[in-house]
Amino acid sequence: MDITEYIQLVFTDYTLRTITLGTAILGAVCGMLGSFAVLRKQSLLGDAISHAALPGIAIAFLITGAKDTNTLLVGALVSGLIGTFWIRGIITKTHLKSDTALGLILSLFFGFGMLLLTFIQKQPNANQAGLDKYLFGQAATLVESDVWLMAIVASICLIVLLFFWKEFKILLFDADYTKTLGFNTKTIDILITSFIVLAIVLGLQTVGVVLMSAMLLAPAAAARQWTNSLAKMVFLAAVFGAFSGVFGTAISASQNNLSTGPVIVLVAGVFVVFSFIFSPSRGLLFKQIRFIKNRRDLQLHKTLAFMHNIAETHEDISHPHAIRLLNNFQGYTKSTLQKLVDKNYVELNGNMWSLTKTGFKTAANLYTKQSIEDE
Amino acid sequence: MNSAQLEIQLIASLVAVACAIPGTFLVLRKMAMISDAISHSILPGIVVGFLITHDLNSPLLILLAALTGIITVVLVEYIQKTGLVKEDTAIGLVFPALFSIGVIMIAKNADDVHLDVDAVLLGELAFAPFDRLIIDGTDLGPKSLWIVGTILFITITLLFTFFKELKVSTFDKGLAASLGFSPAIIHYGLMSVSSVTTVGAFDAVGAILVVALMIAPAAAAYLLTKDLKKMLTLSIGFGIFSALLGYWVAHWLDASIAGSITTVLGIVFLIVYLFAPTKGIIAVLYREKQQRTEVSLLTFLLHLKNHDEISERHVKHLNEHINWQKVRSKTVLDLAQKNNMITIENNIVSLTEKGDEFTSKAIDYIITNEDAQIEDMKDDFFLFRG
Amino acid sequence: MKQKTAVKIDDLTVAYNYKPVLWDIDLEIPEGVLMAIVGPNGAGKSTLIKAILGILKPIAGSVTIYGKPYEKQRQLVAYVPQKGSVDWDFPTTALDVVKMGTYGSLGWIKRPGQKEKKAALEALEKVGMLPFKNRQISQLSGGQQQRVFLARALVQNASIYFMDEPFQGVDATTEIAIINILKELRKAGKTVIVVHHDLQTVPEYFDWVTFLNVKKIATGPVKDIFNDDNLTKTYGINYKVSIQE
Repeated sequence: MDITEYIQLVFTDYTLRTITLGTAILGAVCGMLGSFAVLRKQSLLGDAISHAALPGIAIAFLITGAKDTNTLLVGALVSGLIGTFWIRGIITKTHLKSDTALGLILSLFFGFGMLLLTFIQKQPNANQAGLDKYLFGQAATLVESDVWLMAIVASICLIVLLFFWKEFKILLFDADYTKTLGFNTKTIDILITSFIVLAIVLGLQTVGVVLMSAMLLAPAAAARQWTNSLAKMVFLAAVFGAFSGVFGTAISASQNNLSTGPVIVLVAGVFVVFSFIFSPSRGLLFKQIRFIKNRRDLQLHKTLAFMHNIAETHEDISHPHAIRLLNNFQGYTKSTLQKLVDKNYVELNGNMWSLTKTGFKTAANLYTKQSIEDE
Repeated sequence: MNSAQLEIQLIASLVAVACAIPGTFLVLRKMAMISDAISHSILPGIVVGFLITHDLNSPLLILLAALTGIITVVLVEYIQKTGLVKEDTAIGLVFPALFSIGVIMIAKNADDVHLDVDAVLLGELAFAPFDRLIIDGTDLGPKSLWIVGTILFITITLLFTFFKELKVSTFDKGLAASLGFSPAIIHYGLMSVSSVTTVGAFDAVGAILVVALMIAPAAAAYLLTKDLKKMLTLSIGFGIFSALLGYWVAHWLDASIAGSITTVLGIVFLIVYLFAPTKGIIAVLYREKQQRTEVSLLTFLLHLKNHDEISERHVKHLNEHINWQKVRSKTVLDLAQKNNMITIENNIVSLTEKGDEFTSKAIDYIITNEDAQIEDMKDDFFLFRG
Repeated sequence: MKQKTAVKIDDLTVAYNYKPVLWDIDLEIPEGVLMAIVGPNGAGKSTLIKAILGILKPIAGSVTIYGKPYEKQRQLVAYVPQKGSVDWDFPTTALDVVKMGTYGSLGWIKRPGQKEKKAALEALEKVGMLPFKNRQISQLSGGQQQRVFLARALVQNASIYFMDEPFQGVDATTEIAIINILKELRKAGKTVIVVHHDLQTVPEYFDWVTFLNVKKIATGPVKDIFNDDNLTKTYGINYKVSIQE
């Protein structure tokens, strides 16, 4: 099936519509909450939490024997939270650093989860089919009730976010100050962390434990490049996340045996790369262009300043001087001279050059302007 | 125990040792998450290598995949340098992207690549003995054994050759640079070894176990000692122990060997985390409680020394001004009296000579932070042992 | 004339991870002074402020602001943390940061409105940062960032201001601008408490000083107690500073 066919199907086919809606909502929630994770410098926490959720899924299955998504997700939520608090315990109570704590919890919980999964697979009565999808995610297994769950969680996230926007923002920026203003920082902190864990758990079925963290980070990292306002960043991240979800699902559904998770992550990755390069204010491309332009301007200014010094010695500022005078000056090239002429700062007459009035004024202003910029 | 079982255990133990060595340095250099990143991002390298060589055990494949590991590190460092995102976000962006590329490449070349993504994450240690190295008709043992053995040999050689440089650059980068050891070379050397080890081991034990084997033994060892040599020995010991015990647990449960080894590693870490003599959680909590009482006692003694006025020395003052609960005030008073630091007359507390001397010494120590004057007090007080 | 006491500290002991940083501090800060807290690195200067503001929980002792515990007097107090304590790459503008000063009086959930915006703009004007109100904070110089922080505290319209190293990493112009604002605050009857590390400028900037090194060494008017004797006690053996008259 090709893409256009797919788009048509989205509007007509019930299953496809469900899946597309589900991944869009998921992407939006992840982008929204991911912004907070990124700004709190907890980017890798998501990775640890999503891996830590795996044994919870397996244990929930072992206990209840049910394939019902909600039961399994409750298991994931519990073990994700245990992982999160253990990480905190390790960091605060021992001298092990956060990277070690994250790596530990991530690999140990995941390994334990895999042990349980293989154990389950070898049980004779196991109607275990379907647990595998939690590794890389299978959007195709989303049903309407899953999408409802996502929609409800998304609405709750949105409402809480709107209610406590001010509190979230100030805690992220300046925790100590927040405390002095009388806000209970612990409550806000637990609120944010719980919602991040919730978003991760929600995404496991679609994106899978291995790649869930990227779903959280990538839209936020891309959004950060386009704006300097937290509100716009969160909004953009939600949009990027939703698009990654929709495009990713579309591509993976139109190809054979492609898991959803990797495709969504790659689409999100494209958003990131594009933003890193082409963002007007922070992007690498424009930064490089600005850098080159600044260097050129600097050369131009240097030459102009040099000429100004010469011209100053003469009463008439437009008095012509020989071009070879400039040869001793390092920044001088023929092209810089030509550019100065283009800008109408300098007039050429045979072997002689003279400053124009505008040129003289600009040169005189260079110093004052620079000292203002330095401040 | 048959020979296949023996071989599996041997391979697992060798992998454990090969991982523990670079893992120790990664943990000490606060770069543990890099191992996680590498273990995921080598996947595209493995797939490309496999498409070229059609042999999972080919040295070329190992080199190609290890190269992807290095590329990951370089890419992460490049993104960090642009300042567009915070440090750890760079890691979190790079490895899922590379891993996704790998997964999609496998899916797209499903006919050519007989790689199961589950197997990449988990390995198939149970099958390792069946792929044998046969030269001129002689069976030289499982290929994995040779690969892991070679990597381990190289790692150990490098460790012994550059032990001094590694040690200095891990604990004091500035000093290392001034001594002429380039921190960059050591850094990338370590990254290369980690990558090669990860690739070499992944076929046998899977990516996740590699991460667990690198971090968990080193983290457990770090809670027990700060001496580098002891830490290396301990990590190796924990690694081998978990590999062997993990194998038998898996055998008994009939489940994934890698998952089982990781679980045993988890239990080993948990035990150390709880019970390590000085850094363990129980010891820490106990010490914190002791210190709270001791700091309280000193606070109280110092207060007595600072104030001669009767009102400031009344027993009730403890409650009212120092802001302590009744129980805490009583504990502190009792402790001080038991140690002959104070006398109480008509509810007015006075410092004894011993208490006075002790307090002076204590405050000198705290202000100057010099250990010499306090040696003899150390036995009485946890406070001064930190 | 007997001055009112703005801040009263009783037997305060603070420890980080149970390693003591401040010992048995008694301190009364009279209303309307511009006070410097000086002492060597690790003397507990920032810790003292954080303990007063309830950011750190003391092991013993109590703090009162105009006779009542801090929790009840928050609206009387403003705080300027060390510049390095926040993430300057955070996606927010100078105006936004200053508006944060109004969050405390707004309480939970309520959002800042026109009134708060107006107050924030006035504060920015006062510190000379109005032209930069829409700048992203990472695009400000160190001095400008510090002025934004000061504006945020001004918006709180408090009676007592606590500032942690406000002159660290700022240019000379900003330093003078800040100290002038602080002097204005004092003239308006406010109390200003500054953690300071440049001893040379103490007599010029401040009228009150507290010497601190784990214990309180001395506190009082600069002209009475800012001398070599106290400096030596605070900084160790034979500390001399040339004091400009």
